[in-house]
Amino acid sequence: MTNATNSQLEVEIAGVRFNNPVWTASGTCGYGLDMAELIDLNKLGGICTKGLSAKPMRGNAPWRIVETHGGMLNAIGLQNIGARAFVADKLPELRKYDTRIVPNVFGYTIEEYIEAIQILEEGEGIHAYELNISCPNVKAGGESFANDARQAAAVTEAVKKAASRPVIVKMSPNVTDVAAVARAVESAGADALSLINTAVGMAIDINTRRPRLANKTGGLSGPAIKPIAVRCVFQASRAVKIPLVGIGGIATTEDALEFIIAGASAIQVGTANFYDPSASMKIVDGLADYCQRNGLKSINELVGSVVVD
Amino acid sequence: MSAFGKIIDAVVPVERNEIVRSGSSRSYGYLRLRLDEPIPVLPGQFAMLKAHGIHEPLLRRAMAFYRQERMGEKLDVEFIYQILGRGTQELAKLAPGDKVDFLGSLGNTYDINFAAGREASHEALLVAGGVGSPAVFMLAEELLKREIPTRLFLGGASHGDLCGLNDFTALLGKERIACATVDGSYGEQGFVTAPLERQLKALAGKPAVIYSCGPDPMLHAVAKLADAYEVPAQLSLEAPMGCGFGVCVGCAVAVKHDCPANSSESFVYKKVCTDGPVFWSKELHW
Ligand SMILES: Cc1cc2nc3c(=O)[nH]c(=O)nc-3n(C[C@H](O)[C@H](O)[C@H](O)COP(=O)(O)OP(=O)(O)OC[C@H]3O[C@@H](n4cnc5c(N)ncnc54)[C@H](O)[C@@H]3O)c2cc1C
Ligand SMILES: Cc1cc2nc3c(=O)[nH]c(=O)nc-3n(C[C@H](O)[C@H](O)[C@H](O)COP(=O)(O)O)c2cc1C
Repeated sequence: MTNATNSQLEVEIAGVRFNNPVWTASGTCGYGLDMAELIDLNKLGGICTKGLSAKPMRGNAPWRIVETHGGMLNAIGLQNIGARAFVADKLPELRKYDTRIVPNVFGYTIEEYIEAIQILEEGEGIHAYELNISCPNVKAGGESFANDARQAAAVTEAVKKAASRPVIVKMSPNVTDVAAVARAVESAGADALSLINTAVGMAIDINTRRPRLANKTGGLSGPAIKPIAVRCVFQASRAVKIPLVGIGGIATTEDALEFIIAGASAIQVGTANFYDPSASMKIVDGLADYCQRNGLKSINELVGSVVVD
Repeated sequence: MSAFGKIIDAVVPVERNEIVRSGSSRSYGYLRLRLDEPIPVLPGQFAMLKAHGIHEPLLRRAMAFYRQERMGEKLDVEFIYQILGRGTQELAKLAPGDKVDFLGSLGNTYDINFAAGREASHEALLVAGGVGSPAVFMLAEELLKREIPTRLFLGGASHGDLCGLNDFTALLGKERIACATVDGSYGEQGFVTAPLERQLKALAGKPAVIYSCGPDPMLHAVAKLADAYEVPAQLSLEAPMGCGFGVCVGCAVAVKHDCPANSSESFVYKKVCTDGPVFWSKELHW
């Protein structure tokens, strides 16, 4: 039960072999170890850590989260212990598990991304990086790197030069043409894409007439964004050749299958970890079951198998 | 992993779920659940609860453990919830035999050793407002067990908002409970901080400690009194929570920080769910 070394579920992304395609998403599983009492980390394909920056970040003032219909808004403000503390205090324990460790990395300038990567390069047992490019680029007017194909490509290219490990670039849904950004990032050397990050949203308290989040706006996640995410994966899969990792509202095996069929080689479980901590475990079992029942030798046979006339 | 006991994620049956309405037209549910596994449950700890099988709302709701009772191999745990929004409205629909998604025990506990004192014990002053009172019931039980002199100050909008009043009275006796209601329907009229302040005056410097749980404005008032009378206070906080076990970092509270010499940051954000819910009032950056 515990060690899912079921070879049907093995996937390879950017040269890294994952025991299965089920990962936990950045910002929804702490530094991985925070889930160890609730789930078997050995049974996870991979773990994307909370976004790490070169220096620790304090995060936003409360309120930071608001539940909406079918999802939630968050404006945590990227509170994290910093890349150095992750390498020193978390990684030694985390790498004892039979899973793949994918630190999620961010910065507010390209230099800050590089600085964080350089710190993580010293850490042993990291398998790949995931770049959160949805942060404002403070040197370019504060527009998010992810919203502009050129900025997205620039940060990807710079990080690729600094990183000895594969780089997965995380796409934002808050763009008009996700395929264009995906192509730019692929040309800049990205080894894979993960998509999607949260969709920018807002909620207002009608009694006080104030935004419900201290930060005014926040990122929408959960089942409510799943159709947007599936569409993004589908569009990206038509635009690029590098592997895709699907994220957005995944809570069940059926959700995961939908992303895989749309073109994702792996998936990440995010918000579902909050209200159903064992969702990722159920999905690993559910995918194995699905392969069995449908006579698939490998889950890879399903990737991008969506039928469109 | 967790500093206090054990966390289980289980689907558990409802033993009882009684809905009562107060004179201030608030409604409360008295919920009793049966756990197959008798996990340790400490005063001040909480669970994340959601009616099993529903899709909306998504997130579980944080509820303080009110009481516990060992039932052979099993453990019954009780909660008192105020019916507010979508999550608690779904809890209110539950009937005996229905199922609940249960995640617990979560969070830290009160520093009871402090009340026990090194030489003589302190007088423990429990201050609770409305649906904050469940979070101090097991604390009162524990203090009594350890023979620490204990008083309760219980406040609410109206008589029916003094949650658990009968149980507290049976436990502590009437003479050790002071009640205040905003509408004057029970006890004295006004806020619970009035009788608390009289007691702090009467102490005249005798060692005491405050343990408090309730709405934010009440906690602020309690913290002010604690400061003025130089009585240490532990406050059990509430914050909107996504997960309850430390991963979403939604339930931030500003806590003073012994800042390094060259740092401009005088506070850091801690998590109510895993660093709390109980904090010393002096730590809080309010
Ligand atoms: C550690 C802890 C212990 C708690 N113990 C109890 C308890 O024993 N009994 C009890 O009745 N309640 C308790 N609460 C509060 C309870 O979790 C909230 O009242 C509940 O989540 C509201 O859910 P809802 O679906 O009814 O309301 P929602 O629809 O989620 O919200 C209704 C209103 O309440 C506000 N709200 C939502 N969550 C919170 C929150 N956590 N704190 C303050 N305001 C909130 C919303 O902004 C909104 O205005 C506790 C909270 C914490 C953090
Ligand atoms: C509370 C919270 C914190 C998050 N923090 C990060 C983060 O630090 N870096 C990042 O790239 N994505 C972050 N995300 C986005 C998720 O990783 C994921 O892309 C998004 O929530 C969509 O997936 P979901 O619907 O399954 O949650 C966060 C999401 C939530 C809900």
